[in-house]
Amino acid sequence: MPTTIISSLLKRFLPLAITVAVVVWLYHHYGALTYTIENTKEFMRFVAEHIFLVVVSLAASVIVGVSLGTIMTRKGFEKTGPAIMALVNIWQSVPSLGVIALAYGFLPLLGLSGIGVLPALIALFFHAVAPIVRNTYAGIEAVSADVIESATGMGMTERQILMRIELPNALPVIMGGVRTSSAIIVGTAPLAFLIGGGGLGFLIFTGIALMDMGILISGAVPVALIAMIFDNLFGKLEKIVVSKGIQAEEYQTA
Amino acid sequence: MSVMLSFQEVTKIYPGAEHFKAVDSLTFDLNEGEICTLVGPSGCGKTTAMKMINRLISMTSGKILVDGQNADRMDTIELRRSIGYVIQNIGLFPNMTIAENIAIVPRLKGWDAGKISEKVESLLEMVNLPAEEFMNRYPKELSGGQQQRIGVARGMAADPPIMLMDEPFGAIDPINREHLQNEFLRIQEKVRKTIVFVTHDIDEAIKMGDKICLLRNGKLVQFDNPEKLLTEPANDFVRDFVGGDRTLKRLNLLKVKNAMQTDPPLIRALESLQTAKGKLSELKTDHLIVVDENGRLLGTVDPAALGKTGDKVAEVVQATQAHIQASASLKDGLSEIFSHDLGFVIAVDDAQKVVGTLTEKDIKALLRK
Ligand SMILES: Nc1ncnc2c1ncn2[C@@H]1O[C@H](COP(=O)(O)OP(=O)(O)O)[C@@H](O)[C@H]1O
Ligand SMILES: [Mg+2]
Repeated sequence: MPTTIISSLLKRFLPLAITVAVVVWLYHHYGALTYTIENTKEFMRFVAEHIFLVVVSLAASVIVGVSLGTIMTRKGFEKTGPAIMALVNIWQSVPSLGVIALAYGFLPLLGLSGIGVLPALIALFFHAVAPIVRNTYAGIEAVSADVIESATGMGMTERQILMRIELPNALPVIMGGVRTSSAIIVGTAPLAFLIGGGGLGFLIFTGIALMDMGILISGAVPVALIAMIFDNLFGKLEKIVVSKGIQAEEYQTA
Repeated sequence: MSVMLSFQEVTKIYPGAEHFKAVDSLTFDLNEGEICTLVGPSGCGKTTAMKMINRLISMTSGKILVDGQNADRMDTIELRRSIGYVIQNIGLFPNMTIAENIAIVPRLKGWDAGKISEKVESLLEMVNLPAEEFMNRYPKELSGGQQQRIGVARGMAADPPIMLMDEPFGAIDPINREHLQNEFLRIQEKVRKTIVFVTHDIDEAIKMGDKICLLRNGKLVQFDNPEKLLTEPANDFVRDFVGGDRTLKRLNLLKVKNAMQTDPPLIRALESLQTAKGKLSELKTDHLIVVDENGRLLGTVDPAALGKTGDKVAEVVQATQAHIQASASLKDGLSEIFSHDLGFVIAVDDAQKVVGTLTEKDIKALLRK
């Protein structure tokens, strides 16, 4: 049916078209394009720093979050698991700026610098790890007891059950956590500039300070684009790594 | 026959429930190739007893010998891989295809890929699910009955000599359950596994079991074959549990061939009417059963038919529907007797050869034994 083709094309490309139109208009209207072109080298450095912050802190969140979430489901942690979960939940409710400020104020007490890339990474990591911990824990806990029982009864070791049954079946939920974390990190990363972490935050805060919309837009728009690209990538990744046997129907027919 | 599985004074007391024994000094032997149904009211310890075999539950005292070896001394993982395991809620792995599900234990055991895929295909065929159609599907795409077929196939994948099945057909609707039971018995004819089959349904226990192990409050009440359980219940509890229709249940269990007369009044179709008349008065019977040269059933003749003009029996034979397979249940046999005026049914084998006759009297005589 041609109408369904048209509507699916619209569905797919309309958001993209609108995004492009808005970006072009913003750049044109506020002169951000001129600013970006005149300072290409610097701009590229900010983008690189920004992506570095996001990727490294997200990678750390995934590694630590999945490990911690998994450990909490192991034997011997039946009591501590929920306690850690409660702590993680409280921790997550601290606002972004608060986390950055805490890193700035707290790290020197540990003999570390409160200024620079490392404190920024630490702050982003701590701010974003909670959803991954929580989703990994919840995802593994949600694997049906019958599935685990039959796996055990057939002679799989605990490790085999974790790697081949529990984690793969928890993956959609874990991926949801990773996407949330990625959104949190991408959204918080501009604040890293406040404690000397670099990145596109420089342009945004400079733009605000100078009341120069051009500079501000040339930082804010790439931040938004990076957020969209990351979310899109994770959506695609999810379809690849999650087994078809447990994907939601909408993914299968898409 | 060698003993494959042996319970010796096996007792289980759950921690935190010290006041009662979930399984209490359970002792019995199970021969190789037999199905033993563990049956009894809910909470009587069936699942606990079964799970101590593959050590999903540790026993408090006693000994279980698997093929002569003390299960407690064997490596847990190795032990479990050598015992097929099928549970009521099936527990297929949702992230794996049907083929991957079935291949789990062979893969754990390190079989090579060719052997595994051969095995997967033959198992799918065995449970009546065409391999090409089902191999690459996921569990969620199958009906409950189909899933449990896969559960059974998966349990058998690595050719374990022993299988444990905990109410495997308990969650399946009655019609499909009967279907699966029959299919499973047919498979068992060929594979001859030693099987511990848990059920709370006495009818299923009688149908599936070569031996029935009836439990109550963790204790063994009676361990016997189904016929013995029905005819000689050990006490009132067994009598009640088996139900007031014990005799009807025996009809289900016994076969036509157990009760039939094996000297049917036969006459070949090519004999003369004269010979037939002679035979009829000699045998003092109302009917002769007419067969062809190979002994296959053609019909019957009675005095009225023999009075007709003609030469050979073949000319006056009356076709009959009153026949049944000798391997059918007595219940079906009785039903056939009641639905025809002949007063008896003719028992035939797979090739339609007449092997006997069955009357109400024959059935009564057997039941009274
Ligand atoms: N993990 C457990 N802890 C304490 N008691 C249990 C546990 N599992 C089962 N039981 C008790 O042991 C008895 C036997 O249980 P089970 O073997 O599951 O019975 P069945 O399978 O015959 O229904 C029941 O009274 C049950 O409540
Ligand atoms: Mg049970």
